[in-house]
Amino acid sequence: MSLSIDWFAFIQVFLAALLAAVLVVGFYSLGLRLLVRAGRVPVVGPAEFTDAITVITVKDAQRAAKAAAKAARKSPLTAGQRQVAAVGAYLSFGMAALAVLGGLLLIIFNH
Amino acid sequence: METATLIVVMIIVLALFFDFTNGFHDTANAMATPIATGALKPKVAVLLAAILNLVGAFLSTEVAKTISSGIIREDQIDPNAFLPLIFAGLIGAITWNMFTWLLGLPSSSSHALFGGLIGATIVGAGWMAIDYGVVLSKVILPAILAPLTAGIIAFLATRLAYAMTRRYDAKPDGRDGFRWGQIFTSSLVALAHGTNDAQKTMGVITLTLIIAGWQSSADADPQTWVILACAITIALGTYMGGWRIIRTLGKGLTDVKPAQGFSAESSTAATILASSALGFALSTTQVASGSVIGSGLGRRGSSVRWRTAGRIMIGWLFTLPAAGAVGGIMALVVAWLGGWGIVIDAIFAVVVILTIFLLSRRNAVTAANAMSEVAESGTAVKVTRNPPPTRRQRAALRAEARREKEASK
Repeated sequence: MSLSIDWFAFIQVFLAALLAAVLVVGFYSLGLRLLVRAGRVPVVGPAEFTDAITVITVKDAQRAAKAAAKAARKSPLTAGQRQVAAVGAYLSFGMAALAVLGGLLLIIFNH
Repeated sequence: METATLIVVMIIVLALFFDFTNGFHDTANAMATPIATGALKPKVAVLLAAILNLVGAFLSTEVAKTISSGIIREDQIDPNAFLPLIFAGLIGAITWNMFTWLLGLPSSSSHALFGGLIGATIVGAGWMAIDYGVVLSKVILPAILAPLTAGIIAFLATRLAYAMTRRYDAKPDGRDGFRWGQIFTSSLVALAHGTNDAQKTMGVITLTLIIAGWQSSADADPQTWVILACAITIALGTYMGGWRIIRTLGKGLTDVKPAQGFSAESSTAATILASSALGFALSTTQVASGSVIGSGLGRRGSSVRWRTAGRIMIGWLFTLPAAGAVGGIMALVVAWLGGWGIVIDAIFAVVVILTIFLLSRRNAVTAANAMSEVAESGTAVKVTRNPPPTRRQRAALRAEARREKEASK
């Protein structure tokens, strides 16, 4: 009976998963940060499921939309700077997607 | 039809039924969080989960190989005696799975499967028929380490997400945007689920085919029709089980914020996919639960409710031996009664499945008996409504207080 345990494989899983999660969450968060900077604060519409819970009330959604519009109006940035921030935001989202795609391709080609 | 052929057919049918219940059980693991935070509508979420489970089943076969050529030493067992043992093990797994589902007890489909197979093999073929090195390194250690890994990663990812989007000027922080991101990450969890869980059934069917002599033991890869059948079955189970998600929403995930949900799902998907690539057979439920707890702790001012966390963990600990015991009893019936034992086991399986199905129809589905330990793990972390300020916020408050003091002088 052999009880050899490949501890390196566990470390590999931890590091690979950590790297993937940090890349995806990091780039996505950066994208959101830049999107806000560009004056395009993401606002999700109200959602409600009758036999479960109210996710966002109409009132909350309206309040969020109003705050977002106000923040966009009061932005100290020039139109050009906002444009750059928006491009940066979409690039960050793209990087997050690329990180996922890269991970999946690694799994497929290592198989 | 020969007896051996009949048993092989029965095992394949039972294994596919297990695959179906696995999908049925686990839809919520992927899709409960995005529905809870309003990122996806339930019907869309369920359909998406089903499609991605189907696709995920084709990504890798490492986990299937672990099961078909690692855990059990087929070369040390008489093939004719071993087929009924796989059958008994599957009945043990399904019985335990459905029993815990009916009672709302925390469990893991994957560990029920391993427990059932190991228990039946030990009883029917002896202790030496199991490769404990593989069981320890590919099943038990991943079961302990994977939720921990997912929890630590989710903790760090949540901290990162909050730190990167935090604002100190009281303007909107844009964290609502994580709801859209959750469509993406929950899809990844569904894909990862298909990659790891569908393979477990592929592994059992492949093991059966090898034992029956219908596939060479030198090539432990699942055949294409096996991959296709398992992928379709898990996707179907995911779709059929999806409507129950709505019932679990009020239970524990209402406190999960979009940034937290996004981080938890990223961590779950990353951990499962990385593990699948290396052939670790994980419980996706446990990984998802670890992530939800870790991401909850990643929020400022949070603490663990040890009683709830302990209840979930005790449920996990019991799954493997309990399913093993049921599988062992089923194998004992086969060992004592031979062919009649198989018939009795088959009748038992049908009776258990029908009884539990009828009981579940009669009793109202509530958050307590529906499913999703992941939703329950959301309640294992207590998050304060007013979290303590960050270092920078404290500095700003101190500066403001100083200014006010100077102004009053």
